[in-house]
Amino acid sequence: MPDIAAFREKAWQAFEQAGLPSTRQEEWKYTSLARLGSTLGETWWTPAGATQLGEADMASIAIPGLDAWRVVFADGRLVDSASSLPAGVSLAPLSELLASNGEQAAAALQWQTDAPLYNGAVAANSALAQDGICLSLADGIKLDRPIYMLHVNSNPGAAHLRHALILGRESSAHVIEHYAGVNEAPGLTHAVTLVRLAEAAELAHDRLQDESLKQFHLGRLDVTQERNSRFTSHAIALGASLCRLDVAVDLAGPGASCRLNGLYMPTGRQHSDQHTQIDHHAAHCTSRELYRGVLDGRAHGVFNGKVVVHSGASGTDSAQSNANLLLSDKAEIDAKPELVIHHDDVKAAHGCTVGQLDDKQLFYLKSRGMSDEQARQMLTFAFADAVLTSISQPALRRFIEKAAFSKLPLDMDAEALIG
Amino acid sequence: MLKIENLHASVDGKKILKGINLTVKPGEVHAIMGPNGSGKSTLSNVIAGRDGYEVTAGSVSFHDQDLLAMAPEERAWAGVFLAFQYPVEIPGVNNVYLLKAGLNARRQHQGLPELDAMEFMQLVREKAKLVELDQGFLSRGVNEGFSGGEKKRNEIFQMAVLEPSLAILDETDSGLDIDALRIVAGGVNMLRSPERSIVMVTHYQRLLDYIEPDVVHVLVDGRVLKSGDRKLALELEKRGYDWVREEAHA
Repeated sequence: MPDIAAFREKAWQAFEQAGLPSTRQEEWKYTSLARLGSTLGETWWTPAGATQLGEADMASIAIPGLDAWRVVFADGRLVDSASSLPAGVSLAPLSELLASNGEQAAAALQWQTDAPLYNGAVAANSALAQDGICLSLADGIKLDRPIYMLHVNSNPGAAHLRHALILGRESSAHVIEHYAGVNEAPGLTHAVTLVRLAEAAELAHDRLQDESLKQFHLGRLDVTQERNSRFTSHAIALGASLCRLDVAVDLAGPGASCRLNGLYMPTGRQHSDQHTQIDHHAAHCTSRELYRGVLDGRAHGVFNGKVVVHSGASGTDSAQSNANLLLSDKAEIDAKPELVIHHDDVKAAHGCTVGQLDDKQLFYLKSRGMSDEQARQMLTFAFADAVLTSISQPALRRFIEKAAFSKLPLDMDAEALIG
Repeated sequence: MLKIENLHASVDGKKILKGINLTVKPGEVHAIMGPNGSGKSTLSNVIAGRDGYEVTAGSVSFHDQDLLAMAPEERAWAGVFLAFQYPVEIPGVNNVYLLKAGLNARRQHQGLPELDAMEFMQLVREKAKLVELDQGFLSRGVNEGFSGGEKKRNEIFQMAVLEPSLAILDETDSGLDIDALRIVAGGVNMLRSPERSIVMVTHYQRLLDYIEPDVVHVLVDGRVLKSGDRKLALELEKRGYDWVREEAHA
């Protein structure tokens, strides 16, 4: 059994070597983590204290009406009493593995310095992660209910989380990660999720970040896909004062396909940075990406979507679309689609737009009796909702729609608008 | 009902309408015909209140209210409806939701109670039949993925639901094949009533075979050069527009 303490020590050294990313790095040009230290102190990684939230508090934050297995983490720690884990499935809390099975824990906590979008913080997460879930589905196992992971913060300090979702051949699962918080003092959520899909495995992954406006949020979704596997993601970023989410997908086996959907809606003085990288390593893989941003106030958004078609990736089919709506002239977006192609015989398209609402559409709605305000709200809703229509769980979609539209200056009945 | 006096309007500083006079009484159907670039669509858009059109002189009154002082939505609440030449697609805004919000906004301004969901759906189903619009279209985004003909039918369907007192049909016949034209015209004819006026803007006489107008106007170079009855349209079909211009300048 490997010495988990030594493993963690090595991870910490890797972090110390790389340090936190700085704005001198191309991938971090628009997002500065300097405030992390200046707000949370030099030892910004210090874990938050044990939660004082009761089960009723957690239940009130959870998505209502969701038929799912529920796993609750409060201030970075599993809350056993609020969780219901599926039986007959290999699902273990990281905290348990750290105590009992160093090998599995180390597998979940791995970091690779040459991984796409790697930065020192990933190694820090390997060194510090206190909890998470390690799901390991045997070949052919199909979970009939989603696994809903609720992460709540109530205390200042950091929550380091690491999840590993390992799906065997032809297995399938749906995992929902929900990040929320009631903390009034600033804190940090640092959550890394590893996804490994074996041949023909299928994962639907929905990630909703709607944390306290005091929170710093660093997230990473690290996906490797084998032959004919399928991965669908919705990454919704609404909360936190500063949020950075990296999604890296490695299409490693032929015929694999991924579909990345994202919605970011920073308002006020929020900063929201979404980076994605899709590597087409194998032949005949398909990638689709739809990311949209709605920005208001003095918010700053960043989108960077990189697609790399490596040599040998014949028959690649990739399409990416990013559109941004600026509701205020003080809001700012740095959007960059990046297509790197090392192989002929590929189909790749990308488009990126930044703009305001369409005048023709506005006039049409007004000519049918909508007020200017109402018309603007309907179009803004429709713009953002395009990302949400492919969410399979109605209760989840409805919850996200409400959370998203509560951020907008809506004076109309959101309930009626959602219809 | 509608009274346009000496209306001048420009787009991007270019004079398009150069003194239009037009009076439409309740229940009347007027056809405005003219060659391309004569100002037909500009006239429709100015009446509906689209941005980008500068009215430099003249007035438009509707039920004795100053229409030009009203926002587009206020015109809709007052009973003005424009069937667009090119209806825009609005993915994500549900057709039925839009109509319900539009109808109830208008009813609210008329001091009428809002329709509840049941009453509204009943109304919608009944009106959809008028233009043979498939029920499946109702739950889609506004005009989303509709063919040209479907978009035009949807415009007339909306008109049927919103029951305006003044409807302006901007080249509703353009791009329609003969079957679609028959359906659209049938819908419009069923909406004719003593309280409702209709102004049809069109390039071709063909539409008037299906919807018989009370008055035909010829719009050339931003002015109404000639008005007459149905026979005028037939003459235009035969002789084109040049003779009207020559006659006016003579």
